[in-house]
Amino acid sequence: MKTFGAALLLALVAGSLAAQQDVTARLAGRVSPDIAALVQQLATSAAERGLPVDPLIQKAIEGSAKGVPADRVATALRALSGQLDAAAAALVQAGGAQPDTDAIAAGAFALNAGLDKQNVTALALAGRPANNVAATLRVASTLAAMGVPADEVVELVTQVIASGGSTHEVLGLPAQVMAGVSRGRGVTPAQAAAGLARAAAARAGAPGQNKPKGKP
Amino acid sequence: MTDFHPQVKQLLDGEVTLADLPPELRAEGEEALRLLAAVDREPVTFPALDTRVIEELRRRRSKAPSLWRRLVAPREVRLRVRPWTLVPALAMAAALVVLLSRPESTPAAATVTVRFVLFAPEAQEVALAGTFNQWDQAATPLVRTGAPGVWSATLTLPVGQHQYAFVVDGARWVADPGAPAVDDGFGRRNSVLSL
Repeated sequence: MKTFGAALLLALVAGSLAAQQDVTARLAGRVSPDIAALVQQLATSAAERGLPVDPLIQKAIEGSAKGVPADRVATALRALSGQLDAAAAALVQAGGAQPDTDAIAAGAFALNAGLDKQNVTALALAGRPANNVAATLRVASTLAAMGVPADEVVELVTQVIASGGSTHEVLGLPAQVMAGVSRGRGVTPAQAAAGLARAAAARAGAPGQNKPKGKP
Repeated sequence: MTDFHPQVKQLLDGEVTLADLPPELRAEGEEALRLLAAVDREPVTFPALDTRVIEELRRRRSKAPSLWRRLVAPREVRLRVRPWTLVPALAMAAALVVLLSRPESTPAAATVTVRFVLFAPEAQEVALAGTFNQWDQAATPLVRTGAPGVWSATLTLPVGQHQYAFVVDGARWVADPGAPAVDDGFGRRNSVLSL
């Protein structure tokens, strides 16, 4: 028991140091010392709250690679940190187990792509338990990035899942929307998504079941 | 202040006894011992202060729930480890560190081959930078294809979501016109690739 206690103590100390060194090593030579210190601080705080740190590291490297001034990189890092927190809160709101870092990162990206916290919660609820929540959120954020309005995104994804659509089908939705845009003359991504949502609802036998309020 | 003879000082320090002193110094020694005995050895106390401190401690203690108090109360922890137990402890610690320091993204292995294409007839060089290559614009150069002005690169990427942009002539960051894009947080756009 004492051996295990000592091992755990050593592991915790070593693990913490290793994580800090990992962040430092990844940032070495890629960002300024000020940004590295900020990332270290935000990453430590994020890790303590069970949030992923990789998006923070990536954003810092991206900003420096693009030649963005340090103050603007710092602002973006703080905004991203806030999105990670918001995504975690939205996933917790959906209930179930403590969200994993993959799902939180996907949720933060969805928020950045234009979805809101309620959308993320709704998608997490729809994605469980058969579908991977992180994958569902990635699909949703890709649809939003394509120009599909947030409510339409939620409608489409939830309808496809409600109709028994597999993870594979959900993952294929951006390509289907793209194909719909390419096929029809002047068809927008929103219209293509709405068409797919109607088809999924018809397949489920419950048309409009998950339609957001205020939608025609 | 009385200045005693050095030998009397030795007496006061307990280094010699009264009997050890020469006869002419014994009276001085006795006087010194008498003065020393008269000193009040009782500890100095401030009853009012003691009372206030104890009352404050009681007040604070009564506010905190006992479980919380037990959790936050500082206490000394002594870890006594036999040297031989360090060997298995270090081995277990190493194993735990390896387990805990695994990368965050777990679903492994599945990859997809993707071809990136950009039409940039004026460009002298084009590169691809994104989350998959740590935004390193030297890591993935595009090459000219047979068609004029068309640049391309083929990569095998892990399944998941990636953000990227083309870097034209080492300075201009350009989003992929054929892919969805999101705000990069710096006033530009990143292309999004979901695999």
